[in-house]
Amino acid sequence: MNFIDTFRTSSTAISANKVRAALTMLGVIIGVFAVVMMVALGQGAQNFITDQFEQLGSNLIFVSPGKSGVGRDPAEALTRNKLDDKHVDLIKTHANENISALSAWVSTGSTVVHKNKSYFASVSGLDYNGNEVMNYEIDKGRFLIRSEVKSKAKVAVIGKLVSEELFGQSSPIGESIKMDNNSYKVIGTFKEKGQNYDNGVIIPYTSAKSTFSIKNLSGIVIKLKEGAPVEVSMNQIKRAVSRDLNKDDFSVLSQQDILGSIQEILGMLTLAIGGIAGISLLVGGIGIMNIMLVSVTERTREIGLRKAVGATPFNIASQFLIESVLISFGGGSIGIILAFIANFAAQSFIRTEIPIWAIALAFGFSVGVGILFGTYPAIKAAKKDPIEALRYE
Amino acid sequence: MSKDIPILAVKDVKKHYVVGSETIKALNGVNLEIKRGDFTAIIGKSGSGKSTLMHIIGLLDTPTKGQVLLKGKDISKYTETELALARNKEIGFVFQSFNLLQRTSTLDNVELPLKYAKVKKKDRIKTATEMLQLVGLGDRLHNKSNELSGGQKQRVAIARALVNDPSIILADEPTGNLDTKTGDEIIKLFKKLNKMGKTIVIVTHDEDLAKIAKKRITISDGLVVK
Repeated sequence: MNFIDTFRTSSTAISANKVRAALTMLGVIIGVFAVVMMVALGQGAQNFITDQFEQLGSNLIFVSPGKSGVGRDPAEALTRNKLDDKHVDLIKTHANENISALSAWVSTGSTVVHKNKSYFASVSGLDYNGNEVMNYEIDKGRFLIRSEVKSKAKVAVIGKLVSEELFGQSSPIGESIKMDNNSYKVIGTFKEKGQNYDNGVIIPYTSAKSTFSIKNLSGIVIKLKEGAPVEVSMNQIKRAVSRDLNKDDFSVLSQQDILGSIQEILGMLTLAIGGIAGISLLVGGIGIMNIMLVSVTERTREIGLRKAVGATPFNIASQFLIESVLISFGGGSIGIILAFIANFAAQSFIRTEIPIWAIALAFGFSVGVGILFGTYPAIKAAKKDPIEALRYE
Repeated sequence: MSKDIPILAVKDVKKHYVVGSETIKALNGVNLEIKRGDFTAIIGKSGSGKSTLMHIIGLLDTPTKGQVLLKGKDISKYTETELALARNKEIGFVFQSFNLLQRTSTLDNVELPLKYAKVKKKDRIKTATEMLQLVGLGDRLHNKSNELSGGQKQRVAIARALVNDPSIILADEPTGNLDTKTGDEIIKLFKKLNKMGKTIVIVTHDEDLAKIAKKRITISDGLVVK
């Protein structure tokens, strides 16, 4: 029997038991759907973070407290934080060659209050040139100035979201906001830049330290000159800070380093949740095997008859194997279509992306599941003794 | 093929089954020849070994000892696949319980052996249609098997047995599930086919049915007794 005839025979057998086939497919549908959606979520998160980083501008170097790296205790970096203004000056003095701008950075979060409205914002304390380092663009008003930083002035530049939440459509410039019972005057707003920036409030880092009682810096952000060699500059910065601190007390990271480790973690996470979702695909496969075994037993006489009129063991095995692959492939296709619909629907509130490889993988897996779990029933069918099979009631 | 060589020759065939600790001797040295154009009835009571003999003639089984020569070629050591290919080409089965594929048209049922013989679809339909016309079901090509009467089902089964132009039509109690009138019609059909030159072997316990055959072989206790 040629392939097309075998294919027709198998599909006829499936359509003869539509409900059963649909229920069997359901296992694979759910499995493939789960795998594709998990990958889509992971991929979406990775792309989101990459984009956020790219908006910061390239050639950024971060000096952060403690020894960094995946798997380190983050609390260690906070409790052993020794970074201070002194180190900003050390970098300025001893590693200035490739640096275009740098800023001390204090990071925290706070509820920001204006009259009866409040909003939880991420608060960053920066130096007067922080906007240049972090690529902030002013929409209205102005950025911090040197004297304000020096005098710990209570002034703030706010993001689009903060402005809209607290002031609606009216201009916030000159208005006052309260953070931790300290009154700050709004001197400027930023242009829209993305979620993480739009809900931010920027104040002088000196003011941030006093208002929120923070002793040390969260980090030092350095922008290199255009075309400056990153590795060389990083080493210069390392040497400068080493004049005062042990090498375990701080770390120097390029933007690529940070992005790389975040993506590594997210990649691992995607793989892990994808793998867990893959278990449901396995369960779907067991469902196929179960139904195929029932089907082989039910159709014992048919197998006997086919063998009597000339079907070889290979013919019989192919017929049942194609049947299980059709079920799993069908389930896989439906699962992918559903994942696309869900992906489309989810995009209004979360970033998800279905990569091409995930679709190829899902198809490959679903066919693989059909072959893996269809082989045993197919062999069982092929091995049936035609005499016994013809007698079967 | 020379006319003297029988289509099928069974030479001193023994078939023993081991069931648990017991050995059942189903056939104890059977000799038998089927020649072109023969109409043979194999008769025997249940447990006589006639079913085992039928399975060996039908190439569904191989003997424990002895030879089975198909057109002079010993097939007693054939593999399952070789037996399947030989069955497809040389044997047309007619069963007591028809064994048609459920919810499948008569045409598709008759086409089945041709599919395994890898005949092209166009030729399959042509041959299958001719065979259904021959058995008097030319107007039932597209009826599903469950829409047919018992007699019609058996006619479809006979058409299926004929479709590959096999050397032997092997019928196992072909009238066993039919009423007398329908059974008689099937008998007439077999007679007609034999007149057309088809070689037919009927296996039955029914003496009356056996009478229509030109040659009768009686099996008892695994041996040919007459």
